[in-house]
Amino acid sequence: MFWLFFNHEQVRTMSRVKRRTTHPPYWHVLKNNQRQDEKISSDNLRFVREVIQDKYKNKSPIKGSDLDIEKKEWDPKTKRSGVIARNIGVQHMWEKDGKKVVCTVLHVLDNHVIRYVPPEEYAKSIIGAKVFRNRKPLGCLVVGAEAANPDRFTRQYCSLFSEVGLLPKKRLARFIVTPNAVLPPCTPLTAGHFVIGQAVDVYGKTIDYGFQGVVKRWGFKGGPASHGATKFHRRGGTIGTGRDKARVWPGQKMPGHMGSERRFCRGLKIVRINMKYNVIYVKGTVPGPTNSIVQIFDTLLPRRKFTEAPPHPTYFPPEDGTLPQEDIWDSSLHVFGSPSISV
Amino acid sequence: MLRRAVLQTFRQGLAQSFFKRNAVSLSETTVTHQPIETSDEADEKSVSKQKPGDESGNTVVVAPPEFRFMYPEFLPDPAMERRNRLKEKLERIDMLQRRSVVEIPEFYTGSVMAVTVADANSPNKFARFVGICIQRGGSGLRAWFILRNVVDKQGVEILYEMYCPLIQKIEVLRLERRLDESLLYLRDALPEYSTFPLDMEPERRLNNSVVPINPLKVKLRPRPWLERWERQNLQGVEDLNLPQRFYDKAEKVAKPWEKYDLMLQYRKTIPAEEQEKIFADVHSQLQQQEFKRKIRRRRGIDNEQ
Repeated sequence: MFWLFFNHEQVRTMSRVKRRTTHPPYWHVLKNNQRQDEKISSDNLRFVREVIQDKYKNKSPIKGSDLDIEKKEWDPKTKRSGVIARNIGVQHMWEKDGKKVVCTVLHVLDNHVIRYVPPEEYAKSIIGAKVFRNRKPLGCLVVGAEAANPDRFTRQYCSLFSEVGLLPKKRLARFIVTPNAVLPPCTPLTAGHFVIGQAVDVYGKTIDYGFQGVVKRWGFKGGPASHGATKFHRRGGTIGTGRDKARVWPGQKMPGHMGSERRFCRGLKIVRINMKYNVIYVKGTVPGPTNSIVQIFDTLLPRRKFTEAPPHPTYFPPEDGTLPQEDIWDSSLHVFGSPSISV
Repeated sequence: MLRRAVLQTFRQGLAQSFFKRNAVSLSETTVTHQPIETSDEADEKSVSKQKPGDESGNTVVVAPPEFRFMYPEFLPDPAMERRNRLKEKLERIDMLQRRSVVEIPEFYTGSVMAVTVADANSPNKFARFVGICIQRGGSGLRAWFILRNVVDKQGVEILYEMYCPLIQKIEVLRLERRLDESLLYLRDALPEYSTFPLDMEPERRLNNSVVPINPLKVKLRPRPWLERWERQNLQGVEDLNLPQRFYDKAEKVAKPWEKYDLMLQYRKTIPAEEQEKIFADVHSQLQQQEFKRKIRRRRGIDNEQ
């Protein structure tokens, strides 16, 4: 019955769970190289760069027809892969009736599939066991984005990619997929993976506000600005009763670190896709500051899932060489090149 | 004296073009500012010209320096945390697309404009408003301006977003500048300074290359005011005739060191090299659009005749 009182009673679950850490998990491979000032001559540097280029020369693009894994049909219960993107800002667009809409611009980076972990293996790992404790296990696709110079990373980290023959990526992410949506390693994922009008979930780390007081962090009202208030303008006030339990309850709202937490924004609609620059415009806002990395995947919300088959398992450019339409707009949006709206 | 000093800093042909557009800066800024500012523009020619090669050997088209006053919304918000080159590029493409449909003319604070907007609640389905532009701001597709007029003894201000597709037409009835960048003091001025007839005709200028500065000094109503105008160094306002204590407090509160703060200016503006790149990007398309419009206008006049 406590939900009836949630206005004046603090919810004290999850109070002891640590919400953020500065160190990565213990099973993470050490990533960044301790850069020593190596005095290499410019000729040798050039040679090293040539070797890197030769080693990681562009592979021919994977066609939809020659997928290793047998192509499976899409069904409403399929979970497709997601995509790593960067939130590059917010742009205003207008709908066909003149209503202004705030859209977030997401730039899909150079994503490549690194590895597929089949359901049986993933269910044995620590995280997989937790996630699939009472459910049927699903597979996991590891996707990487933003290729970088191998010099920056440790050998262990580069080895994750060298088996596949890719330049090491700055960012890795895991996406839970059903076995029929599996992609072979080295498959590129682009903005065409998504469909106009579909709903997506965007997962990112919120803006880091640092150590914040109780007014900004929890929305407390503080005290009066004048009328004789002595040193009580933005403070919390009382933190407990005297009698009941005679201590401060865990979960008591107090000043502390605010932000830099992982959050989902569910059910955001895709209103525009630019295939040339690999950019998606999503209606609404997304967790995290500008230029931060987010993960986008098909929505979990049951009423906004696909009714028709999307590009499954992902989008491949047409094999007859025809270029896709560069800029695709949702039917509800006003295209900028079209005549002004007359109501 | 000032004119001669500035003329000496760079070439003859360029000086004239600089004066034509940037005349307001002569009255505002100190002498020290100008050589720094104009040495960048001295490298650019007044008419868009091909710069002799960069490394690749290709000629580089450079936009005229006036562009940053004519089209200030193409410059992005200078806050470094929120800047992204790709997003700015895509936004500029959208802005040019919109400009190809609707003519968004050059205007400044102090110009009298008329805007026609699609409005479901109007009898004709279009609403036209005439007013003086008192402020303009925003960057990219968010660019806006505020028009002010006094209608039936009631002051009315409307904020228009320049790239909103509901806007059918933007006309500049009188293109001129005032002595200040923001004319918010017209709210506290006598109403005759903000009144413009709603059926005003567009005024033709004899000299098209110069944007005139109207040195009008506006008379304010007696206090109370909406803001402390004595603290804002307004040029376009008549002597305020306040008791000395107001001016003393204004001096106490003033920040005279800000005009020497180079980093503050740097953080508030986009560096000249980036501005060059942005306008070079955008320049040829804008010129093409203007050219097409001129042809259309000439054809319209010929047809009428």
